[in-house]
Amino acid sequence: MKRGGISRRAFLAGAGGAAVGGGLLAAAACGDGQEADGGAPGARFVPFAGPHQAGITLEPAPATGLMASFTVLARDRAELAELLRELTDEIAGLMEGRPPETRDPAFPPTDSGLLGPNPAPDDLAVVVSVGASLFDERYGLAPRRPRELVTMPFVSNDRLDPERSHGDLLLSIEAEHPDTVLFALRQLMRRTRSTLVLRWVLDGFTRRGSTAARSTGSPRNLMGFIDGTANLDAGAGTTMDRYVWVAGGDGEPSWAVGGSYHVVRVIRMLVEFWDRTPLSEQEHIMGREKVSGAPLGMEHETDVPDYAADPKGAAIPLDAHIRLANPRTPETAGSLILRRGFSYARGYDRAGRLDQGLAFVCYQRSLETGFMAVQARLNGEPLEEYILPEGGGFFFALPGAEPGTFLGQALVA
Amino acid sequence: MTRRLALLLILGVVPIALVGAACGSDDGADVRSSTAGSASGNSGSPSNPDSASGSASGTGLSLEDTQTAGGGNAVVAQGVLAYGDYVADQVDDTIARTKVFTNAVRAGNLQAARAAYAPSREGWERIEPIAGLVEEIDGAVDSRVDDFAGPNDPTFTGWHRLEYLLWKKNTTEGGAAFADRLDADLQRLKSGLETLEIPPAAVALGASDLIEEVSEGKITGEEDRYSKTDLWDFNANVQGAEQVVTVLTPALEDADPELLSRIQAGFKELEASLAPLKTSNGWVLFCQQNDEFPSNLCPKPTVTQAQIDRMKAQLAGLSEDLALVPGALGLS
Repeated sequence: MKRGGISRRAFLAGAGGAAVGGGLLAAAACGDGQEADGGAPGARFVPFAGPHQAGITLEPAPATGLMASFTVLARDRAELAELLRELTDEIAGLMEGRPPETRDPAFPPTDSGLLGPNPAPDDLAVVVSVGASLFDERYGLAPRRPRELVTMPFVSNDRLDPERSHGDLLLSIEAEHPDTVLFALRQLMRRTRSTLVLRWVLDGFTRRGSTAARSTGSPRNLMGFIDGTANLDAGAGTTMDRYVWVAGGDGEPSWAVGGSYHVVRVIRMLVEFWDRTPLSEQEHIMGREKVSGAPLGMEHETDVPDYAADPKGAAIPLDAHIRLANPRTPETAGSLILRRGFSYARGYDRAGRLDQGLAFVCYQRSLETGFMAVQARLNGEPLEEYILPEGGGFFFALPGAEPGTFLGQALVA
Repeated sequence: MTRRLALLLILGVVPIALVGAACGSDDGADVRSSTAGSASGNSGSPSNPDSASGSASGTGLSLEDTQTAGGGNAVVAQGVLAYGDYVADQVDDTIARTKVFTNAVRAGNLQAARAAYAPSREGWERIEPIAGLVEEIDGAVDSRVDDFAGPNDPTFTGWHRLEYLLWKKNTTEGGAAFADRLDADLQRLKSGLETLEIPPAAVALGASDLIEEVSEGKITGEEDRYSKTDLWDFNANVQGAEQVVTVLTPALEDADPELLSRIQAGFKELEASLAPLKTSNGWVLFCQQNDEFPSNLCPKPTVTQAQIDRMKAQLAGLSEDLALVPGALGLS
């Protein structure tokens, strides 16, 4: 390895010991939006190895998240492979709780020490995704580009800032606590200093919502609305197979099977403007009651709107956000996506307005039938007046790595 | 100059300091040639005849001293000794070339002063981490405006105060006092280095910090924001860092040849990235896209974002490897 002296852990992807510890607390959630197992949030080591990257479906979603997008500076395919191998080793070690090695104090310590000698599990999970630009001429990967992966176009009322958009490689890090996230980021960047240069970073949080009966436990976004009620059940394997994971026979390159199209939209919310909007208007824009989360005209968050019975939008306007996003018709049933975003707050702008919003993240088996189809329906929605998509990108989350292999191995082989 | 530098100081500081420190450089051909003796050694051999002879005569360190400094490793001690000469040479060079700069300021010759600015800083930038160990010198000669409430703060002195005057105010007027002060402070540096003693542990620790400093201050264009001569400093930092590695090469060959070859390769790659930015008499002005410090010296970018990203990664990789040098040599 290039940076042998820094290596925090011996490279033994799939070395049994580490995997076993995590396995007891399997990440795969069981599904209904409630906590997946008896453990309190933060108690789990998330098993790294498997057909899919575990962080995509880990439930409940950890409370803090960070995305870091990089330019890849590997000089050739071999260096790119080495980069992916290094990342895999570090991620596996971080997720499985391999303790840092100690060494002669004349050297820099092998880790930052942020989390003490034995980092707690904290539900840490890292997902590695690649952008369309990685498939340019540099590494000869053009023939292996997932067929729908392109540089994210301007859609809707976008005002994408090129300095906060796109990238060759994206790391998505989640954990219960922000220091765990930062610890992981620093370890990962330290291992990859000569091949990864930062392009943009965004961090934030997601606070689990009510676990009362007929609630989904979905968080409220910074507009004050419960966000994620109708999300796919990440714990339901068959649902994930149908809507999220690329499968053989999809017409995708074989290396991509088990991966997922990964959309990031940094959606600024004009919160001051929103906060002075009448409640009834807010609710009509969204299609849900603000306090309960129930679809308008219904009682509970988990109630399912019956649009057939409301063809003119008397209860839920035809252009309400939830109605456009998911019309619940047979024709639109294929466009379901797995959302996994978080809220962010990063100071204020020159006008003195707070710079806050939603880091919208979704995973899907196809961009065309997934995000792009949903976005096409949302174009022109009344909500647009209050939001401004400023960044993000289209990525492809690599398939998982089985023991003894590294993420993206088949991509660069 | 007196070359009585404490070896310990040199050892610890050198690697780090050299890399990051160099800021200065020459805008002129004369600079380059004058540097050649001591600094050209970018490719550099510690055994550079100039520095070698210089040190031998002047250091005043006994073999015993050097062995202590090198943690008992005579090979390391030898390298440290050679490095002491290098530092002494660079200080002398800085004083001489700064005199050219300050004389032009005092003479009211704006063009000559501008031409002499970057070259006058090169020697300083090659050894800045060590030079910075002399109390209050760094703040007096190399502070940036960010360290003060504003450019007119009377405690804002040194090269960058004059840079502000020459490029931002387009004048030498009012510069004489700052010029005098800079000359005096550099004399203070010279005498300070003669008596400075630094614990061995401090020595090698500085190398990767220096490279980091290039990453933080030079590649961002912060250092020479008015004159846009950052690449002179950048190059001098790299030369200084490489000189440290050169003098420690025999020791590293024993201790960790793999680390040494990674470091040497890292310098080569960095130099290859810098090479296209050279001009016949120095370096292109450092003009970036979306420059944080816009200037009419920069009608269009001279360095692409891709070039900058490449150098960022090379610097960062080098920093990580240089940070392992003290440990590899047992200089705790």
